[in-house]
Amino acid sequence: MPESPRLLAGTLDLLILKTLSLGPMHGYGVAQHIHRLSNDALRIEEGSLYPALRRMQVKGWVASETKRTPTGREARYYRLTAAGRRQLEEEEEVFKQSVAITARVLRGSES
Amino acid sequence: MTPRELAGRIAAWWRRNELARELDDELEDHVRLLARDLEHDGMSPAEALAAARRQVGNVTRLREESRDAWGIPALETVIQDLRYAFRGLRRSPAFTATVIITLALGIGANTTMFAVIDRLMFRPFPLLRAPAEVHRVYLQTTYRGSRNANPVFPFLRYTDLLDATHTIAAVAAHTEWRFAVGDGDASTPRKVVGVTPSFFEFFDTPAALGRYFFATEDAAPAGVPVAVVSHRFWSTELQGANVIGQRLKVGVVDYTIVGVAPRDFVGVTDGAPPDVFVPLSTIPANLGAWSQESFRRDYSWDWVQMIVRRKPGVSAEAVSDELTRAYIQSRAAARALNPRVLPDSLVQPVAVAGPVKLAAGPDAGAESRVLLWVTGVAGIVLLIACANVANLMFARMIRRRREITVRLALGVGRRRLVAQFLTEALLLAMLGGGAGVTVAQWGGAAIRSMLLPEGTPFNLATDWRTLGVSFACAATAALLTALGPAFAAARTDLAATLKAGAREGTVQRTRTREVLVIAQGALSVVLLVGAGLFVRSFIHARSVPLGYDARPVIEVVADFRGYAMDSAKAVVVRRTLLADVQSIPGVVAAARVNSRLFGTNTAQLRVEGIDSVETLGRFNFQIATQDYFRVMQTRVLRGRAFTDADRDGQPLVAVVSDAMARALWPGRDPLGQCMHIGLGATPSAATAACTTVIGVAENTAQQNLTDDPRFMYYLPVDQVVPHQLSTMYVRMSQPDARGELERVRRAVTRAMPGDGFAVVRPLQEVVDNQSQSWRLGATLFVTFGGLALVVAIVGLYGVVSYSVTQRMHELGVRVALGARSRDVVRLVVVQGVRPVFLAVGIGLVIAWAVAPRVQSLLFRQSAVDAALYAGVGVTMLVAALLASAIPAARAVRADPSVALRSD
Repeated sequence: MPESPRLLAGTLDLLILKTLSLGPMHGYGVAQHIHRLSNDALRIEEGSLYPALRRMQVKGWVASETKRTPTGREARYYRLTAAGRRQLEEEEEVFKQSVAITARVLRGSES
Repeated sequence: MTPRELAGRIAAWWRRNELARELDDELEDHVRLLARDLEHDGMSPAEALAAARRQVGNVTRLREESRDAWGIPALETVIQDLRYAFRGLRRSPAFTATVIITLALGIGANTTMFAVIDRLMFRPFPLLRAPAEVHRVYLQTTYRGSRNANPVFPFLRYTDLLDATHTIAAVAAHTEWRFAVGDGDASTPRKVVGVTPSFFEFFDTPAALGRYFFATEDAAPAGVPVAVVSHRFWSTELQGANVIGQRLKVGVVDYTIVGVAPRDFVGVTDGAPPDVFVPLSTIPANLGAWSQESFRRDYSWDWVQMIVRRKPGVSAEAVSDELTRAYIQSRAAARALNPRVLPDSLVQPVAVAGPVKLAAGPDAGAESRVLLWVTGVAGIVLLIACANVANLMFARMIRRRREITVRLALGVGRRRLVAQFLTEALLLAMLGGGAGVTVAQWGGAAIRSMLLPEGTPFNLATDWRTLGVSFACAATAALLTALGPAFAAARTDLAATLKAGAREGTVQRTRTREVLVIAQGALSVVLLVGAGLFVRSFIHARSVPLGYDARPVIEVVADFRGYAMDSAKAVVVRRTLLADVQSIPGVVAAARVNSRLFGTNTAQLRVEGIDSVETLGRFNFQIATQDYFRVMQTRVLRGRAFTDADRDGQPLVAVVSDAMARALWPGRDPLGQCMHIGLGATPSAATAACTTVIGVAENTAQQNLTDDPRFMYYLPVDQVVPHQLSTMYVRMSQPDARGELERVRRAVTRAMPGDGFAVVRPLQEVVDNQSQSWRLGATLFVTFGGLALVVAIVGLYGVVSYSVTQRMHELGVRVALGARSRDVVRLVVVQGVRPVFLAVGIGLVIAWAVAPRVQSLLFRQSAVDAALYAGVGVTMLVAALLASAIPAARAVRADPSVALRSD
């Protein structure tokens, strides 16, 4: 299995928030979603995912509730709160800016 | 952390068990879903489940990390670690007890010493406003190389110093006395402080009842007799009644109470708190007509102390400079009255705005410096205790290495491991600290009674400054003892340790422990050298031939308390009193005396044939009644002592000390020689009549214990001041007078006319005070040095004993190969004693480098005394030998069959 690329620091939260902005999801769903959207390039480790979800929950960005899955089992679903949505917008902005700046620097060093 | 997050964490912490269960469920779900998807990709159900589990990985670790998100992880971890530590300590009670006792001794020593020096030197007086701005004024002169800083000076000097106003915001004077307070039988001697009305403005709190003094109540000529009583005196002696306007007899003067001082108010008085405050100008009324007339117009009498408050932004040096200028002017004024005031060029007069605490000021005696040294020593004791505890912790860590390894393998973070070690150490240190404070409160009583003035309040339970220091000591101890073992534990090489047996990988750590033993040993040696130096100084001081025997003697000061007498009546009253005292059962002899021991006086002295007697040294005189030599057991070597016949009008006579006779009339017979003494009615020696030497007494140490020549002469009371002298020395038939004090005090008080009463103390106390600093140094150094030695030796024993346990196998093999008991013993003992050799070497070098700095505190003792150093070294080595001998005896029993079978 080829090694998945390293995530930029801080992007994990952003990816999770973005994923949850699509609608409530359980942990496994979040991981699968990111995995799929990145064309199987990114695999979120369970060891990072669950602590991150707990952290965001405590910070109030994410709320969780137990819901019945389509297959009829009880599962923990996470959804974005209003604070989480604001945080998402903020982080998205910061991320875009930092990518743009990094890219500019990289271009500059190549020319 | 935002408040919202904190709230979230706290909420989560409450539900932590539920949350943990939920997480487990969730992870289980995750595994299940993952397995299902893998199955879709074509794996068998079993394979898929295994692969899913592998992918999710270390669930414990994951749980730990998620848990960090809820609760206050630090707090929760601490609570968990504390619980873990408690369990661990309960499992090894011997280790726990040893550590707690060791730390308790170290922390107890520091708590005691801090409590003492803080009270003596640093702690601000209660209720004093902005204490950092307040100074006591010391007047310092340096005459013939000896510096003398005096916080007590004449009233007139104080008023001269008031000229310094540029740097000083406020100023007050005060003076401390002991007067009888109350009426008749109820009267007892109490501390009475005379103050200027400005004195109370240095403090924050208004009077608890009534008021303080008005400026007019301290005005010339004699003030107004009003009094403020202390809160304690008011509540215990006056039953907390409304006493404003009541009469209170202080000494011979009737005062009117105008106020009650606030609780805890002591002014700037150390030791026993004062009971009564009165206006400064009213004090002389209790001291006789002479002082009342003279205190505002001459410089003859030192009795006033002065405190000042700096103006904002002014340095203490600037205050000292300005006061010095005023002081020099004041000396000029004094010289105009009395030409004998020495020129400034000879004495370099300086005024110092110094610490309010006398013990921290320039006037502080050798005791203060000894105390600071001993406080350093207490610090060293704590270091030694820490080294020892670190040692024990290393040993414990090594014993627990397998457990630690397993925990590391199971995913416990190394940081967490270090935190657990620290928690355990902190817990131990706090227990040790608590025990230490108890040690200081109960066990330190002996040390305290020696160091603090009688009556100083002392309760550690409410003493936050001292408790803070004890806590800081404990915390430092925890860090010092835990860091090494903790990091060593965290560095544990998992694979190697899991593979290795118990016998391997210990050599390195034993070396660390050996280094600790060497450090302890070296520090102990330093302390033992200090102990030796002070003990020998003390012994030397005690073996100085005194020329008298003070132990059975009681000093009785008769206070006639204003009983009206003209001088003819005074002669009769004092003679009668002495006769009454001599008839008290148990009294062998009694004498009235002028000078107290170590408080000698001099007078002008002229001897024909000698240009200036003063150049030979200081000649002290004593005025006494005929039985003086019998009371003091001072032998009269030649001629005779004076008798009842040597009265006023008879030829003037004197007894001189042997040293004085040899100095004044070398090679001649001193008996019958003539001295002219400027004393009493003829203050000038030039015109004084001839006093004939009738006897030579043995030399006595009355001025000090040093090698100064003991020039002393004795004059009969009746020929000099027949109507004076209220101090009596009373010799009892008991060899130790201390048990007779109260009986004699009562008997003398009964014998006195009017309201008069007697104050007594054992004369030996006065003698002992002279060697107090060496006694202090000796006692404290021996206590702490002994502690250090014991702790260090126990530490050494631990290391050797542990190493024997570790090497039992090897020793068994040696025995199997033919090693004899002697060889085994030598092996073990050499291992134990070798580091101590090094420790002794290092310790002696340190002592040799440091000891000269205490030279000035020693008495007839070189700080670098080779014999003493050798003695300490040998003591240490013998102790080490004994500490190694016990494990060695065990090593001899190493069984070769066990060793061989185990492989």
